[in-house]
Amino acid sequence: MKKFTIVMLILIGVYLALPIFATALYAFSTEWNKTILPEGLTFEWIRTLFQDTRFVEAFGRSVLLSGGAVLLSILFIVPAIFVIVLYFPSFEKWFQASVVMVYAFPGIILSVGLIRFYSGTSLPMILAVLGVYVISVLPYIYQGTRNSLRNVQGRQLMDAAELLGASKIEAFRKVLLPAVYPGLFVAALLSFSVLFGEFVLINLVVGSRFETVQIYLMSKLSTSGHIASAIVFVYIVLMGILTLVMAIVTKKAKGMTRA
Amino acid sequence: MSNVVLKDVHKQYQHTKVLTGIDMNIEDGEFVTLLGPSGCGKSTILRILSGLTDATGGTVMIDGKDMKNTPPKNRKVGMVFQSYALFPNMTVYENVAFGLKMHKKPVNEVAERVGRMLELVGLQEKKGAYPHELSGGQQQRVALARSLVVRPKVLLLDEPLSALDAQIRKHLQVELRTIQRELNMTMILVTHDQEEAMSVSDRIFVMNNGKIAQAGTPSEIYTQPKTEFVANFIGRYNVFSKEQLEKLFGTNIAISAHKYAIRPESIHLQSRVSSYPLRALAGDSVMNGNVIRTTFHAGDKSFTAEQLHHRASAFERGTEYQLFVEPEDVIALS
Repeated sequence: MKKFTIVMLILIGVYLALPIFATALYAFSTEWNKTILPEGLTFEWIRTLFQDTRFVEAFGRSVLLSGGAVLLSILFIVPAIFVIVLYFPSFEKWFQASVVMVYAFPGIILSVGLIRFYSGTSLPMILAVLGVYVISVLPYIYQGTRNSLRNVQGRQLMDAAELLGASKIEAFRKVLLPAVYPGLFVAALLSFSVLFGEFVLINLVVGSRFETVQIYLMSKLSTSGHIASAIVFVYIVLMGILTLVMAIVTKKAKGMTRA
Repeated sequence: MSNVVLKDVHKQYQHTKVLTGIDMNIEDGEFVTLLGPSGCGKSTILRILSGLTDATGGTVMIDGKDMKNTPPKNRKVGMVFQSYALFPNMTVYENVAFGLKMHKKPVNEVAERVGRMLELVGLQEKKGAYPHELSGGQQQRVALARSLVVRPKVLLLDEPLSALDAQIRKHLQVELRTIQRELNMTMILVTHDQEEAMSVSDRIFVMNNGKIAQAGTPSEIYTQPKTEFVANFIGRYNVFSKEQLEKLFGTNIAISAHKYAIRPESIHLQSRVSSYPLRALAGDSVMNGNVIRTTFHAGDKSFTAEQLHHRASAFERGTEYQLFVEPEDVIALS
């Protein structure tokens, strides 16, 4: 039985990893049309990709849009989560309902809604998308922040700091924020990686007027398979780095709160 | 002048009454314990005193000053929490120094006072350690040092030792009392551990259902419980109705009361002139440290008697004994 489980796990692992591995390999292959393995290996496609100013700009836009949305979430949503979780826990159910609503709207419905609502206004559509992004990472930011607050017993830390002479703002800034920082950082990275890979909304609402990595990838799929694979490879490496950073930070955070 | 005064303090959460008519006068340098079962409102009193929770009604005064509208940071009240509440991102030194830095004390003074406080709690060696690198007992000492270093007028201790094992708890109880006497500081301890309350307190307030059931010195509380709740909570008193007791003694009881309490150690084998006699069958005996507790059965009523360990062989299971109780040891309960 144990043997069967191990074999099944290996098969599933191979099934999941094979497309990623093949895509990465294709990004480094000279030719790979009539043979089982690539005819040769090259850095040409990666080099070409990074020499293409369109890609670099698209990459920059993706980072700007995703990073900006995460930053705005941290600035506006996190303080609200702090206040509700620590001082008005009875309101938390409303927050949880909002979190569920984020999942309730499919991208296509959201896009049509955004276009119908904002297209007649002077608001640039990219800002409307940014606004949606800020809200769409709510589940990750909320869970990460709330769990961190509970893990460090946030209310007691605030109480202890206040009794030692700190104002609420000082207690928040000097005690609570550094204590929950690892959890918050992980939530931010997770949100960033989710937004970085978002395609439906940005493509339908803004399209090529604000080309992100995902839109650039879409355009390259029909022109060069090698370049498209190189984009996916770069994307996977970026996500891998983010995951590694999250794992390290989470491990450190666990050590910090272990009593 | 009383250091801490609570006058008719009430607390209500929506439709639930948590505290009803709490009156307390706590003197300067007194070590007072609020003792009661979980949910009786004792921690709420600490939170009201510290300003972390507002009372629904009544007055809280510290050093003669009404604390209404005084924020926690200006009350000069320290608090040690059950879960320690140490700042996880700061070292032991930084934790202890935090309060002094908030009070904008000069760097030299901070270093000097933190050093002295760490010496007092025996943690100089650990000043560079983070909370998660310390044992529970060490963490609680840091929490104590952190609260004491800012020299609060009153130190509130919210079940600070309950998460520790028995040996460390007993050691810290002694240490806490020693520090309190050394600094002559007013301390208010919340606990549900009767032994802890008895061993450290100048006075105990026994609480039940958001009210003070009885207040007094440990000796008064132990020897003169006023109600059945206090008798049961503070010791392992035997509680009898008038009928049960008169049937047991075979005579009328002079003092009229609804219920009576007798301490297990007041039931003995030696007869005196005025003793009440009672016959009972010995049941199981349980050893509890240096004390042997034996259950006796007399008719449908059971009760316990306690003896020091070296006398324990006197009671054999299944044997009927003639026991005695002195009239002054029969306590009338209200």
